[in-house]
Amino acid sequence: MNYINNAAIIKRQLIVRLAKMMLAGNLNSRIDFIPLQQAPKDYEAMRCCVHHDRAVLHHRLMALLGFAIENEQPEDEIRTLASYVAEAEQKGDSRLDEKILTVIDEACSSCVRANYRVTNACRGCVARQCLMNCPKKAIKIENGHAVINEMLCISCGICAKACPYHSIIYQPIPCEEACPVNAISQNERGIERIDENKCIYCGKCVQACPFGAIMERSEIFDVIRSMLDKNEKTIALIAPSIIGQFNTDMGQVVTALKKLGFDHVVEVAYGADITAEKEVGEFVERIGHGSICMTSSCCPAYVQAVDKHMPEIKNLVSSTLSPMQYAGEWAGQQWPGARRIFIGPCVAKRAEARACNFVENVLTFEELGSIFIAANIDVAECEDVASDRIASSTGRSFAISGGVCSAVVNGTAKNGIKAEEKIFNGLDQKAFASLRAIEKIVKNVTFIEVMTCEGGCMHGPGVISNPVVARRFLEKILKDQANDS
Amino acid sequence: MEKKFKITICSGTTCYVLGGAHLMMLEDVLPDDLKEKVEIIGSTCLQACHGENARAPFVRINDYLMENASIPKIVEYLRTH
Repeated sequence: MNYINNAAIIKRQLIVRLAKMMLAGNLNSRIDFIPLQQAPKDYEAMRCCVHHDRAVLHHRLMALLGFAIENEQPEDEIRTLASYVAEAEQKGDSRLDEKILTVIDEACSSCVRANYRVTNACRGCVARQCLMNCPKKAIKIENGHAVINEMLCISCGICAKACPYHSIIYQPIPCEEACPVNAISQNERGIERIDENKCIYCGKCVQACPFGAIMERSEIFDVIRSMLDKNEKTIALIAPSIIGQFNTDMGQVVTALKKLGFDHVVEVAYGADITAEKEVGEFVERIGHGSICMTSSCCPAYVQAVDKHMPEIKNLVSSTLSPMQYAGEWAGQQWPGARRIFIGPCVAKRAEARACNFVENVLTFEELGSIFIAANIDVAECEDVASDRIASSTGRSFAISGGVCSAVVNGTAKNGIKAEEKIFNGLDQKAFASLRAIEKIVKNVTFIEVMTCEGGCMHGPGVISNPVVARRFLEKILKDQANDS
Repeated sequence: MEKKFKITICSGTTCYVLGGAHLMMLEDVLPDDLKEKVEIIGSTCLQACHGENARAPFVRINDYLMENASIPKIVEYLRTH
């Protein structure tokens, strides 16, 4: 279940405020008022007091301007947000480096170090199985209650199993538990830190943190700035999963994007059509050379996972580019010199975009939606028009798990080769283990699709719509397309 | 038969992005006893979001305009009216 999350709503409200100021041309003079507007004097504080909330909001705005909080020096705490705006203006895209996510230390609540906690249901019994069986002697009795020493505890869970009253509970650190590659851990102050050598930019920690302490370094500043620049042309490359994101037809989003100031709108599903075709060609060639399996390469978090954690299967990953890159390449040929902005549900696409030459910036759907609000554009009231480059139903179905696989397997069948489908719907520990041994597991010619987000891109960290709702729109559009042809 | 509650869910962009997207699941998650009493209508902008301090998302239940709407808040309203 996709629960509503207040931390995500606050982020969107901040983007609306920031984008409104940019569009009004008074960001430099007004941005430092945003924490006061968002958390005014009479408001009920979320944390200890309104001042702490405002300090967190200040740092959220820094991340929204594209800065990494980790780079903040002690004396920077008195820096104004306006000075960050000036720095962003001066440095432009060069301030954005490979660090995609940032942890706001003011917001991180330093969750418990040990995963087990004694609740007040403890009766301080005589048996004391928790204390007797703890392999690290981490438990003692204080005031008739068992107490776990967090510094000694190794979170083995024996105490919780042993307690006859079920008074010891498991309490996860949400971001660490969500991370599939153990890339996030606490520093000596208990603040979470992301290890760039391990992080695959899946964004699961961003969704998991109940304090909203992990944020993407946004590029909204650069995107809005280029839209406002009359001399710069901009192209929106819209991911297949944009279908249903605004509870409208996709063509209405196209109109809304043009109203906002994008000169051209291209469906990345068109790039997916190219990816499918090339991937079939590559797969057929590999089979000809004696391979029996190949994996997809369109999910950038999976590609990162192979590079950083499973280099032994790198030779099985398709070398075909992602739909985003083909769409960006095509757009660059059509409108040379224009700024290409990928709009999608994905955090890892930011890393992919920075490493390739076909896309300049990345926005998420929630960022786009917040900018629409700031510009007073109601997608539901926009006209339904076609984009500048439409796509087939094959490309559009890349938005959900299974779409890539069926496209490639169908294409391979046309070449007279019957291939089996294997889909990794979500990248968890089990999927990692299977992928590492995939050559031993697969018996016949098989195409393997890997999606880091369970359910596919429509379940990505940057979506607005509940995936159940979005899927209804996708199914409708695919059905209409089938009827038309 | 006339339903007791007519719920209009705003899916204008402001409401939709600021939490309204989740309200689209209302019909799927309403308890059975309430489902019988409710008619759910989708709507374009209810024009409630334009003020400086408007608290989206908005939902109208008969004549009552609910701000900062959420599924639990709607269920509670239906139970107490």
